[in-house]
Amino acid sequence: MKSLFAAALLSPTVAFADGLTVDTPMVPLAPANAVAHAAFMSLTNPTEDAQQIVGVSAEGYMMAHIHMSDIKNDIATMSAVDMIEVAAGQTITLQHGGLHIMLMRPMEAKAEGDIVAITLEFADGSTQAIDAEVMRMTHGM
Amino acid sequence: MRRLIQILAFVLAGPAVAQVQGVELEEPVLMPAFAFSNELEENFTQDDLKDAWTLIMFGFLTCPDVCPFTLGNLEAAVAETGMRVRPDNVPQVVFISVDPERDAPWVSEYAKFFHPDFESFTGERAQINTLIEATDSFYRLMEPDADGYYEVQHTSSVSVIAPDGTLRAKLQPPFDPGLTAEFLARLQIAYRKEMTQ
Repeated sequence: MKSLFAAALLSPTVAFADGLTVDTPMVPLAPANAVAHAAFMSLTNPTEDAQQIVGVSAEGYMMAHIHMSDIKNDIATMSAVDMIEVAAGQTITLQHGGLHIMLMRPMEAKAEGDIVAITLEFADGSTQAIDAEVMRMTHGM
Repeated sequence: MRRLIQILAFVLAGPAVAQVQGVELEEPVLMPAFAFSNELEENFTQDDLKDAWTLIMFGFLTCPDVCPFTLGNLEAAVAETGMRVRPDNVPQVVFISVDPERDAPWVSEYAKFFHPDFESFTGERAQINTLIEATDSFYRLMEPDADGYYEVQHTSSVSVIAPDGTLRAKLQPPFDPGLTAEFLARLQIAYRKEMTQ
């Protein structure tokens, strides 16, 4: 059975463009002239193989990067992340204070309800499209 | 200097388990003279600290996560504080950009997005450094990449300035609105007691 499954994985007829299950993709509504937006979501790998996200792009933005925010010893830092590996069965959450997709230089202002088309690029060359909705963040709820 | 701040931050953060939303300074620190402005030619100087409680946050506009999240939470925290203190004791919130090169053309709009009364400014490097040092805060502009883009590291805590112009406390992430409001209300009670003694 296992070898059969492996064979299926290798078969060119099997498409893995939607290899990750994406939950609640969103872009927090940002101040009008903010030059950097963030996208948050959770990514679950339902397959039996690790998946490596090695790049990201977004329509309507000059650049997109995977970033990690951190607060240590009262210092907020941010750094670029080259690769996110989602192990088989694992869920990785991109959320405040940790991993996020940084969307740089929006070409036009975003409004609540707008959809940002994001593309994840995997190490095997495949891609996955994600529609993230622009939403106003609620605090203190 | 940075090491000292880190050690201090570590000491402050030590007992700061989940529930602690602020740390009161043992000795108040008088704020020096400073001058900031924005593209609307609004100014923020030490005189604006008089007769009001002020929360000062440092950050930069190319900050997609920590800065907007902090300001969003401060909005909720200040609203909560408004239910616990007299209207004239509700703190004013000021965002200071430590990245004037990129932010000066539109810095005023940033804080207003989170609340119409929030204000944001930037200024000369020397002025930024003055207020950073006075509040025992920290920032660093990182090396630019090939595209000229650079990250900024900065203090995550928020400085609480009393109406006598002295730094009294630091608010710390995650800025839970209810706990932060409780901390500020208690700080104000202690301050008033001290003033009437």
